[in-house]
Amino acid sequence: MERRTFLLAALTGTAALALGSYLYLPELEGIDTDQDHRVLLSVLLPVFLDGALPEVEGPRLQALNRTQEAIAASMAVLPSHQQQELQHLFGLLEAQLGLLLLTGSLTPLMLRSPSELIQMLERWRTSYVDLLVTAYQGLRELVMASFYACPEHWARLHYAKPRLFDGAQ
Amino acid sequence: MIEDPISAGLAAGWQHLDAGTLKQDRLFEADVVIVGSGAGGGVAAEILTQAGLQVILLEAGPLKSSSDFNMEERRAYPDLYQQAAAMKTADKGISLFQGRAVGGSTTINWTTCIRTPEATLDFWAGHKGVAGLSGASLAPWFERMERRLNVHEWQYEPNRNNAALKQGCIALGWDYTHIKRNVSGCWNTGYCGMGCPVNAKQSMLVTCIPAALQAGAQLLSGVRVVKIEQHKDKVYALKAEALDSAGKPSGVALMFKARHYILSAGAIHTPALLLRSGAVDPHELLGKRTFLHPSLLSGALFNEAINGHSGAPQSIYSDQFVWQHGAAGELGYKLEVPPIHPVLIASKTLGYGSSHAELMAQFNQLQVTIALVRDGFHEQSRGGQVRLTRSGYELDYPLDDGFWRAARRAFASMAELQFAAGARKVLPISEGMGYLNSWAEAKQAIATMTLAPLKTPVASAHVMGGCAFGEDKTQAMVDSWGQSHYLENLSVMDGSIFPTSLGANPQLSIYAIVARNASALAKRLRPEPAKAVPADVRGH
Repeated sequence: MERRTFLLAALTGTAALALGSYLYLPELEGIDTDQDHRVLLSVLLPVFLDGALPEVEGPRLQALNRTQEAIAASMAVLPSHQQQELQHLFGLLEAQLGLLLLTGSLTPLMLRSPSELIQMLERWRTSYVDLLVTAYQGLRELVMASFYACPEHWARLHYAKPRLFDGAQ
Repeated sequence: MIEDPISAGLAAGWQHLDAGTLKQDRLFEADVVIVGSGAGGGVAAEILTQAGLQVILLEAGPLKSSSDFNMEERRAYPDLYQQAAAMKTADKGISLFQGRAVGGSTTINWTTCIRTPEATLDFWAGHKGVAGLSGASLAPWFERMERRLNVHEWQYEPNRNNAALKQGCIALGWDYTHIKRNVSGCWNTGYCGMGCPVNAKQSMLVTCIPAALQAGAQLLSGVRVVKIEQHKDKVYALKAEALDSAGKPSGVALMFKARHYILSAGAIHTPALLLRSGAVDPHELLGKRTFLHPSLLSGALFNEAINGHSGAPQSIYSDQFVWQHGAAGELGYKLEVPPIHPVLIASKTLGYGSSHAELMAQFNQLQVTIALVRDGFHEQSRGGQVRLTRSGYELDYPLDDGFWRAARRAFASMAELQFAAGARKVLPISEGMGYLNSWAEAKQAIATMTLAPLKTPVASAHVMGGCAFGEDKTQAMVDSWGQSHYLENLSVMDGSIFPTSLGANPQLSIYAIVARNASALAKRLRPEPAKAVPADVRGH
């Protein structure tokens, strides 16, 4: 009975998953990255950003780290209800029961292959359950917006802001 | 270096207070207190101040100006947009882009100025009890605000994103119009949505608000009004809280007292504030009939460079389909284009991994067309509803069958237009759709495509309604002059007064109607104004 109650509570909680997005302030000081779900994100980022990340290991690692920082900063400027929703999603994905609820499997994401992770994302993306779709969309927007917010990642786009005058920031 | 007129004005003694810096509770008094510094509040502040009234202008967001505008989405969205540009409707089905800084959405809009369509004014007069607003009666007000904000047809070559819209219309024989823009000395860079870095955009931030400050008005940023205090049929104060630089309450309470109060907080916050204050609303209208021009997106890849980030973001629109089925018939849609910047495009396109990376790699060949659906005229098009929640407010906007029928027609029109303009491939932005290689293929695929909330991205930058104006109290909260039907010293002057959407980008409609209504109010509050108002203002 206790477990059942917990499951229901978790489901009700996830129904509130909203997930807006992104964006970060350039000032990155003071962000405690230990609380930023780095392990979880280190598994998901290569899947979301496949094809966008540099192929050479050094720059690739640099881009992944930069995106982690950008995500932490994006989260920090979101309204509190959206922060809570994202934290809730991360929390579920890091917990066994949450993982089972959201992905149908107890296997930690770290131990899943890229194709299994894609399968998971596709199941959310095409789900008839709105909370899974919003979980997918929230994560996707957070990652994409944070990655492309960084000028370091614009090279493939051939995009650069104009320099209007000397001293442009 | 570009001179920052705000820094210069502050140095010269303008009265601005960042409420986040206050350490103690404070009481402020004035003739008129205006809540919100966007298109409505800015115009009202200038007119009332110049009529000799002491005005306090309140803004929840920060005061940012050109020296803060660095043309990067990562700074602009958290600084200048509500909810860091991540705001959505209750079910996450619609992304909402609204300003939250001094100047409101005028600080971050794309400078498109369109007079209220005659068909919209006729509909309001015929069905919504709005009195005295016709193309002819509003013309002097449009002219006045067009002069004030330097609104002129954009004389430069449209950028290639807009040129594709124009070329498609020419090839198909469709209607199109060159857009009038509120700019002066525009550098044609394309970064209007991140705050104009060169003060060319004639937003409230650099026009009416400075004029009001120059004439003695007081501006307070970082102030969130939490309650309208009322006794019988009068407002006697506004209760507010100061916000710190992160937008969180600092713990300092503020009170504002005035002879008259104006709500210009926009179509979400004006109704939400009235609801929170328990305002008299016998017909339960507040927050209802909120309209968005909910918009669909269609991407197209061209062989040649489009560079949609560069150049005036909007210079062409097409009204081919806006009124096709009559004002109250099947929903029509307006065709425009958005500026193309990395965060906006990366987050509003679909998918991830290699397919998304490939699309992003063709960033400069990408043309995007948007279709803005004209909601609120058809009997079944009832729009959304602003509601109070435990933690604040939400906007619920169910996307109904009538909308999805319009969406399907709109996707087809956009694909037809993009192929006619020379697109190599068209990508309707909706889950399950791939690249389409010809209009024939697109026509077939769009006829059967799945359209659904969350699966089909929908966006809005035009929030309207929720506190309608008009003479019929069963349909309107305020009269046609913006005066509350229930509180004798309260007016509403923003986009929340529109009883339907407009079928046109809203800023110029707000400017002109508020100029008319604020001028009448100035005359009423001060029978012998310092400056004459036009003779056609009768007041009431």
